[in-house]
Amino acid sequence: MDNRSVSLMTKTIVYAVMILFAVLSIYPIFWLVIQSFKSNQVYLTTNKLSLPAEWFLGNYSFVWIRGGFSNFFVNSVIYSVVTVSVVVLLSNMAGFAFAKIKYRITPLLHGLFIVGILLTIQSILIPLFLMMNAVNLLNTRLGILIPYIALGLPMGVYLCTDFIRGIHDELVEAARIDGAGFLRIFARIIFPMCAPVSVTLAIITFTATWNEFILMNLMTAGDKYKSIPAAVGRFAGSLGSDYGKLFTSLTISLLPILIFYLIFRNQITKGVAAGAVKG
Amino acid sequence: MTAKSERRFSYALLVLPAVLIYLAVVAFPTIFSILLSLTNYNGGKIFGNPNIKFVGFNSYIWMFTEPTGNFYSSLKNNMYIVAVSVFGQIPLGFILAYILSRKLIKRGTTFFQTMIFLPNVISPIIIGVLFKAFFVSPHSVYMELVRLIDPEAVFTIGARPMIPVLIVILWMFTGFYMIIFLANMQRIDPAIIEAARIDGANESTILFNIMLPAMTGVIITCSILAISGSLRTFDLIYAMTMGGPAGQTRVLSLFMYQSAFQGAANYPLANAISTVMVLISIVLIIVTRQMGKIFGGKEE
Repeated sequence: MDNRSVSLMTKTIVYAVMILFAVLSIYPIFWLVIQSFKSNQVYLTTNKLSLPAEWFLGNYSFVWIRGGFSNFFVNSVIYSVVTVSVVVLLSNMAGFAFAKIKYRITPLLHGLFIVGILLTIQSILIPLFLMMNAVNLLNTRLGILIPYIALGLPMGVYLCTDFIRGIHDELVEAARIDGAGFLRIFARIIFPMCAPVSVTLAIITFTATWNEFILMNLMTAGDKYKSIPAAVGRFAGSLGSDYGKLFTSLTISLLPILIFYLIFRNQITKGVAAGAVKG
Repeated sequence: MTAKSERRFSYALLVLPAVLIYLAVVAFPTIFSILLSLTNYNGGKIFGNPNIKFVGFNSYIWMFTEPTGNFYSSLKNNMYIVAVSVFGQIPLGFILAYILSRKLIKRGTTFFQTMIFLPNVISPIIIGVLFKAFFVSPHSVYMELVRLIDPEAVFTIGARPMIPVLIVILWMFTGFYMIIFLANMQRIDPAIIEAARIDGANESTILFNIMLPAMTGVIITCSILAISGSLRTFDLIYAMTMGGPAGQTRVLSLFMYQSAFQGAANYPLANAISTVMVLISIVLIIVTRQMGKIFGGKEE
């Protein structure tokens, strides 16, 4: 659109700025992946910026099998899949009721969820821990999943209500005249129509759940129920770190989310913008 | 079933699962936390324990007046993070978004956008562990570079340990603000810019007289996000420095965590800290609403 007045000089500067930022953004990740192919001995004794002289794969088999990362990976997948499914379903249900069934209590309930978007997880961490302890849900899968689902709901209810409000009332009214109940209308008409917002919500929720650390670290003891983020620090010790294994465990944690991001990058950035604008 | 009772039944069935889980896990603990901050509870049974007494605002008074000033040093670090956002990430994000939205580059728009946003999808705990190895360790890339200049250099944590943390925070979130600005800039009607161009406006006129004024509301929203983001900062610092050395990189959330879960548990103090954090959040929500009214329409 602007090919006239942009001089060669401006163009060069603009490209240089963009390339600089792109390189700065991905170089540390790139560096990490490369260093994961060095054994600890090699990493400590060679230049930290060099490529490995020979590509060492031993870290990967060690971390995956003996380091327990196959187990953490499975746990991460379970937490993410269950959280995403439940959040998407419950948010759509509540969103439909808030948007299309008029009740005076709706603004209050909807407002409660909106307030939750800005609340930080840290502010409820201690009471949540004490409550889970009181009902014996510490160190169980359910004790992790319930808070994860609850924390996904504010954004989910906000997005779904907003989306379903945009669907014409006539559609619901016509189905009502034909004698359909609200539950049927939801299951047969509205929920399928909400596929776009459900996808956005699923992506946001997946990213947040996959990356969550603070709750996971606090609510689980031992390795059985931990997910990947709660396990990545284990090869870094105060007395000495095994850098090869440390970098490998980080790479294993990164790869799934990076692949996910490259596939869904447009929906992710769109979701971020949509979620952030209302603040 | 009559239509009215079917309506009521459906509403309840659709809304209740989400509302109940949310009330139990988010709303109730928020109030519970405030109550706990007013007691002397320090572990043990929590429901029906006769030793728990309400002691008023003792924890708050202690937090605000204790001699080491941990609350203020943590708050100061939160403010540094806000400053990095407001004076670093937001201007940089604006510039990058401007370059992309005005199509000042011909090729690779999607590529640059994807790469610069990439750090945002990575868990902060992973970034923390990564940059600890990259920056703040005797075997880091940073030391490798220092040794190029001075081969005998020995690793020290440095006089200002917040600086590496702030650099990483700048690195992580610049792309986030870029995406927000970009989404909002793309909503500006191209016809306005086209009209200005026909009237002889050059690039800097477009920037200062059209883009910047249209983005005022977004800049304010971003600043509020920066404050709430700084309150969320935990994982990164937990992994990178654990608040050390000597609490110099501690932020409020970490101060709260350490009060509750490290050493002797001081739950009332920890809850007093989190209550103050909630209060800051609530003030932010009110401010956002007000700003939305003042600048209304521009971002919706």
